[in-house]
Amino acid sequence: MESVDDIEKRIERAGRAFDELKAEMGRVIVGHADLVEQVFIALVCGGHCLLEGVPGLGKTLLVRSLGEILSLSFSRVQFTPDLMPADITGTHMLTDDPSGRKVFDFQRGPVFAHIVLADEINRATPKTQSALLEAMQEQGVTVGGKLHLLENPFMVLATQNPIEMEGTYPLPEAQVDRFFFKLILQFPSHAELSRIADITTAAPAAALREVLDGPAILQMRQWVREVPLAEVVKDYAVRLILSTHPTPDGKNGGEALAQRFVLYGSSPRGLQSLILAAKARALLAGRPNVSFDDIRSMLLPSLRHRLILNLEADAEGISAEKILSEIAEKVAEV
Amino acid sequence: MSAAKELVQAKLASLLAWERRKRCEQILYTAVGVALLLAIVLLPLDGHLPIRELRWFIPGALLLALAPYFFYRRRWRAQDDRRALVQLDRAMRLEERASTAWELAARGETGATAELVFKQAQDRLRSVEPRTVLPRQRDWQAYAVVPLFALWLGLLWFDGDRSFIEQRGAPKNLAHQLSEFARELQEKAKSESLRESLRAGQELEQLAKKNIAAKSDDEELKKELAAVAQKLAAAGKSGADKNSFSAGESQQSLQDLKAELDAARDLLNFSDGVKGTQELPQQWMDRLASLPQVKKQLDREPQGGQGLGQNDLKAFLDRLNQQATGELDRRTLLDAQQFLEQMMQSGQGQKNQSNMQSVARGEQESAGDGVREKNHSNRPGKEPGKNDGADSLPEFRGGAQTQVKGLLGAGDSSAVFFKGKPTPGKSELGQDELVANYRRQAEQELNSERVPEALKETIRKYFLSLEESKR
Repeated sequence: MESVDDIEKRIERAGRAFDELKAEMGRVIVGHADLVEQVFIALVCGGHCLLEGVPGLGKTLLVRSLGEILSLSFSRVQFTPDLMPADITGTHMLTDDPSGRKVFDFQRGPVFAHIVLADEINRATPKTQSALLEAMQEQGVTVGGKLHLLENPFMVLATQNPIEMEGTYPLPEAQVDRFFFKLILQFPSHAELSRIADITTAAPAAALREVLDGPAILQMRQWVREVPLAEVVKDYAVRLILSTHPTPDGKNGGEALAQRFVLYGSSPRGLQSLILAAKARALLAGRPNVSFDDIRSMLLPSLRHRLILNLEADAEGISAEKILSEIAEKVAEV
Repeated sequence: MSAAKELVQAKLASLLAWERRKRCEQILYTAVGVALLLAIVLLPLDGHLPIRELRWFIPGALLLALAPYFFYRRRWRAQDDRRALVQLDRAMRLEERASTAWELAARGETGATAELVFKQAQDRLRSVEPRTVLPRQRDWQAYAVVPLFALWLGLLWFDGDRSFIEQRGAPKNLAHQLSEFARELQEKAKSESLRESLRAGQELEQLAKKNIAAKSDDEELKKELAAVAQKLAAAGKSGADKNSFSAGESQQSLQDLKAELDAARDLLNFSDGVKGTQELPQQWMDRLASLPQVKKQLDREPQGGQGLGQNDLKAFLDRLNQQATGELDRRTLLDAQQFLEQMMQSGQGQKNQSNMQSVARGEQESAGDGVREKNHSNRPGKEPGKNDGADSLPEFRGGAQTQVKGLLGAGDSSAVFFKGKPTPGKSELGQDELVANYRRQAEQELNSERVPEALKETIRKYFLSLEESKR
């Protein structure tokens, strides 16, 4: 049976691992500190991330570096319109066995890695997208009637470009909902750009150090779920989720913007994501319990892709972030 | 149970007890404030209390009645526990450790994670006194209690409720009633040119003013009023001898007569065809005859006034006017005297006040001559000879009607009738006749209050211009 000291050590270890990860990532990724934290939170919560940002902001570099630091297998799939599901999941190939007989052998696709980078996921057809999304949800692929389990930990980091929408297949809302977080990459500041120039135009830096491995991450996933959550904090999270839903009478506490511009509010998956992420954040902050701040911090990455806005919001340039910010500001903690 | 858990529970329980106490105080302040506010608002109703001293206990009674409602409405709920703990977390930057620890303790959690939460909460709360972290903060209700209490006490101390009752509901004293009556009497006297009544009104007003200024009691005023009433009675009786001709006339007849006399004088002033003692042409006599009250008086003259010159007629009209005015003056004085006597007998009262006003205004309910007057004897439910209430003041009906004997029946009419010949075909009415009739009607209307004063002269001139243009 664990003692208080064990828990303290556990929390300390988690915090230290995260600090080391941030430090290593900082060697190759300039800025995006929040992004690194949120990706790590998604990892320790067992979720997948959708990264959105214009080309050249370091999305691929971020994911690849994460794979290296975590000592996990990493694969990258560039999504194109002609990409087939089998190109992701793998396929049966006719090969010679040691005795010289011809046999069908299952050749595993790129999805069989701990960390999968699905670059420009919205460029593939819905059929191919759904193959990946099924793998994300089920943690396994079925090929030729046989189930092939994926690696554990398994995490998909999909990217999409918000400006080149021509010839793309936007992800259906139901599939977007399966991403634990949607993270937006912001353009770097002046100082960050300057540092990027220094790093990328000088001699290559030494290889990244591994700070965590698969079993450690799986253990941390267990710890995250053990973080206690006070009823009052949980109630706050529930009220936040309810506030994203417009109702005809506006009696569920929905705020003004949500009432006007939201077609459908967050799904229950949004609440799960919000609470789990808040627990992970508390753990990484060295705290044994979840606070209101944890909930608020995780509100945007957890819910921004789960709100379906109406045409009026499009016309008036209202974003999900703006609506969520208003909700965070107006909904009382108690 | 671990020591950390125990300590945390004890600390948080003490905090919640403190918060409950603060809530009770707030409720009490609110209830006291509302009770005081209600007591102030209901101050004018203190007069209905059977014992005057009970007014000091009204806020207490209201508080007892209201407090249960406030305590029930703002009772402590589970949600308030949470709110208080979150407040503590915020105040001490505990990042919801206190809230979580309280819930874990309530759920009986004993795991290592729960123990760690207790331990961390205990470390922060050990040296903290909840009262210092969440001190008592008075809200506006608490600050309003003292001023409200002071206001209520001040109002009661200085008999604010009594003065309010006196201002709003208490009847006026005799001097004020008299002053009001005197003013209205003067107004009436001025409008009808009643010299004696005007003088009496002025005298009464002076008397009332003197009494109001001296704040003397009603009994003293009554004595003085008795003297004035006697004087008025004497003046009324002496006037009766002079104006005996019109004693049988009703108030309305006298007023109509005065109006017609004015119209007749105007007629004479504008008649330039007749000079001095020369006999008036028949045309003018016809016009005078169209004024019923004047005609009635002319008929009493020898030969029905035929053969009178303009000067004679003027003298006749002046005499009539003097007599009518004198009679009206006399009747007003008598009514005033009667009212004063009643006032002395009955003292004060709302009914008396309204009667007094009707006396001073000379209000009339009856239409005039020949119409049965609504006096005490013929009102529904009251039979002649029965007591109508000795303590009420007499109703003023314009004076003479109540004193006229044997004047029952249709009486005189001031209407003008046109009778055309019943010949077939179109009925014809000459322009002269028509204009004369219209003028007569206009003259009667001019004497009423329905025509604005400023327009009366214009109307008179208009009809004169019609006749002049015809000539």
